[in-house]
Amino acid sequence: MSPDPTAPTSHAHSAPGVRVRGLTVVYKTPMGELPAVSNVDLTLAPGTITGVVGESGSGKSTLALCLLNAVQPPGRIAAGSVEIDGLGDVVELGGEELRRARGRHVGYVFQAAQNSLNPLKTIGKQLLDLGRSHGVADLRALVRDAKDLLARMGMDGARVLDSYQHELSGGMRQRVGIMLALVLNARVVVLDEPTTALDMITQATILRIVREVHDERGLTTLVITHDVGAVAEVADDLAVMYGGRVVEHGPVKEVLGDPRHPYTQGLIRAIPRLSGDIGEARALPGRPPTLGTLPAAGCVFRERCDRRMDVCDTVEPVALTRDGRTVACHAAAEDADRRLTAARRKEFA
Amino acid sequence: MITGTGITKTFKQRGSVLGAREVRALRGVDFAVEAGGAVSFIGESGCGKTTLGRIIAGLETYDSGEIVIDGVPMSGLGHRRRQPYFRRIQLIHQDPYSALNPTRTIHQTLEAPLALRAKQTGRPRSWVDARATELLSLVGIDPGYVLPRYPHQLSGGMRQRVVIARALTMDPEVLVADEAVSMIDVSLRLGILALLKDLRVRLGVGVLFITHDIATARYIGDDSELYVLYRGQVVERGPTETIITRPVHPYTQSLLSATPVLHGLELPGAERVVPTEALDPGGSDEGCLFAPRCPFATQLCVERRPTLSHDGTTLQEHACLHPRVRSVIPVDAVNRAEPGTEQRTGTEADTGARG
Ligand SMILES: Nc1ncnc2c1ncn2[C@@H]1O[C@H](COP(=O)(O)OP(=O)(O)O)[C@@H](O)[C@H]1O
Ligand SMILES: Nc1ncnc2c1ncn2[C@@H]1O[C@H](COP(=O)(O)OP(=O)(O)O)[C@@H](O)[C@H]1O
Ligand code: SF4
Ligand code: SF4
Ligand SMILES: [Mg+2]
Ligand SMILES: [Mg+2]
Repeated sequence: MSPDPTAPTSHAHSAPGVRVRGLTVVYKTPMGELPAVSNVDLTLAPGTITGVVGESGSGKSTLALCLLNAVQPPGRIAAGSVEIDGLGDVVELGGEELRRARGRHVGYVFQAAQNSLNPLKTIGKQLLDLGRSHGVADLRALVRDAKDLLARMGMDGARVLDSYQHELSGGMRQRVGIMLALVLNARVVVLDEPTTALDMITQATILRIVREVHDERGLTTLVITHDVGAVAEVADDLAVMYGGRVVEHGPVKEVLGDPRHPYTQGLIRAIPRLSGDIGEARALPGRPPTLGTLPAAGCVFRERCDRRMDVCDTVEPVALTRDGRTVACHAAAEDADRRLTAARRKEFA
Repeated sequence: MITGTGITKTFKQRGSVLGAREVRALRGVDFAVEAGGAVSFIGESGCGKTTLGRIIAGLETYDSGEIVIDGVPMSGLGHRRRQPYFRRIQLIHQDPYSALNPTRTIHQTLEAPLALRAKQTGRPRSWVDARATELLSLVGIDPGYVLPRYPHQLSGGMRQRVVIARALTMDPEVLVADEAVSMIDVSLRLGILALLKDLRVRLGVGVLFITHDIATARYIGDDSELYVLYRGQVVERGPTETIITRPVHPYTQSLLSATPVLHGLELPGAERVVPTEALDPGGSDEGCLFAPRCPFATQLCVERRPTLSHDGTTLQEHACLHPRVRSVIPVDAVNRAEPGTEQRTGTEADTGARG
């Protein structure tokens, strides 16, 4: 079964891997059930930080909720599996088993964690509630662990536990959210928009803490954000979502340095940067699709794509993996073939 | 033209963990925004940016100092006589979601201020609809699509454009944009920034741009001025591009260093600066305000408060006792990799000038 949850530290080799396969999540709408996540395959290698980026509505939060099997009505997981080492297929879990897995195996820091704490209870009280709901026998040890984690993140644990949410700054609340996600020794951690609405220095501090705690505890971490910059520095791998699909996935340096999907290329060109030519940067044209405007066939990105071909209108591109890079795009597949032929020709020349 | 001299503002806060305390939100800030010009204020949360924006827009009082709008000092006027002046300065909020009334269509949202404007300027009623259409086109959205809709039916980017259109109904001289792109998807931010830049050129509107993300300040025009605000004091001021490529104040350097590096595309600056601790807005008032967090602080820094001034060696003004250019911003990884393609005048060129 799972590794001993009371073990205080452990190492990356024991971090769990996560394999999402054929995952589809639909929401009930006046137009019928529509997919917010469509047939997604995504592997989180043990001990890595994966960033998932994409515009609002691309399905990031929905995908993340599936790691806890926590999609709420009017949504439901319509197909697929989420295998987590030491836990099994989360989609198949239910009842008490699932409740215990949340927090103990998978820790979750919700989007806008800055505002998701209970305003009427001190942080310490909320910590004890969390412990009791998970049947933690030694609550004193739990408080000690919480204080250690808070100290680890540069805060006075005793004082924070005595505080109410409104007495803490945005960056402090975010750290409290991380503490609550980790205090039950979860080894898979999901952070949804952890730095949105924080200033740059606070963001940098939070990201450094995420990286350090990740390394120290041997976690497998998923960070979700609309801001590539917020994960560029902290993630090992980057997955790009559009219209409920993962359209590109690979090592972060390679995806940023040599993006292959036209959407990834546009997303990177749209980042306001400190270096680089101001004239070359531009906002992505058009607007992101909603559940109702997603085309039923063909490539979901074609309305905004500058490389659109005839085939893109009718055939949905499948995700192809080559040299550790996954891309779902007809044009990118042609590029890859061309590179391969050129490389062969060089070999024979 | 709007200028401010020596603007100060102190808040008395009650009920914090530490009991009652005073926060000096602004400590004698000077600024000037010209017609069609652009000025950016940057700093962490809690440094006084929003307070300054609200004061400039006439929505907050100030303790001392003078604001002069089109040559008229506001201190000489009563509350009522100031209003027409402050109406020429329109504030755009950070949150395009709460800025618009959810029960009104965009048409209704624009109609009310335009009807008022028509009355003030003796224009016929028919002008109102024509002007609404004109303004929406100006901010880059399709009036036919947007006018009948409610805010929740629009994306964040569209909403922010509507908010800007509404601000323009007042024919403002200056737009104060307080974190106007922070809540919008990164993919759409450059579009809003380009719009602000465009409004400067086409309408001669001045822009006072408030942000915690220095990179965005580059995109409102290469003639813009940057003010770095720290705990209510301007600690560095000058041309935006100069301060970004050759910052001399350790606080500015901290802000620039915190901007994430896009690995694969960029290499980190060689001398990134990280503050030694977190911001305490009610912290010590002795010496340099940044000294408790500054990695380069000396005994002198604790004893003396540096004031904003030119030191004759740099284009910008700064308030630091030990100014030194540091290469903190990311370097283009591609240009770095190919020698001979160093067309940038930024950080590489700076290396030799470091003192
Ligand atoms: N409870 C819900 N009911 C109906 N549609 C929803 C619900 N939650 C999310 N959606 C839709 O699913 C899509 C994906 O949403 P989400 O996962 O929140 O995306 P992201 O986190 O990338 O912004 C969006 O089009 C959104 O409108
Ligand atoms: N209405 C208020 N009452 C008390 N303190 C305030 C008020 N508004 C702002 N402050 C304080 O003034 C300082 C500057 O705040 P603000 O102008 O909002 O900064 P910024 O916009 O740079 O984040 C902060 O310490 C803040 O807590
Ligand atoms: S599949 Fe076609 S439309 Fe889609 S991103 Fe690739 S080229 Fe563009
Ligand atoms: S005056 Fe001293 S403490 Fe202040 S910023 Fe300069 S070096 Fe740092
Ligand atoms: Mg989300
Ligand atoms: Mg503010």
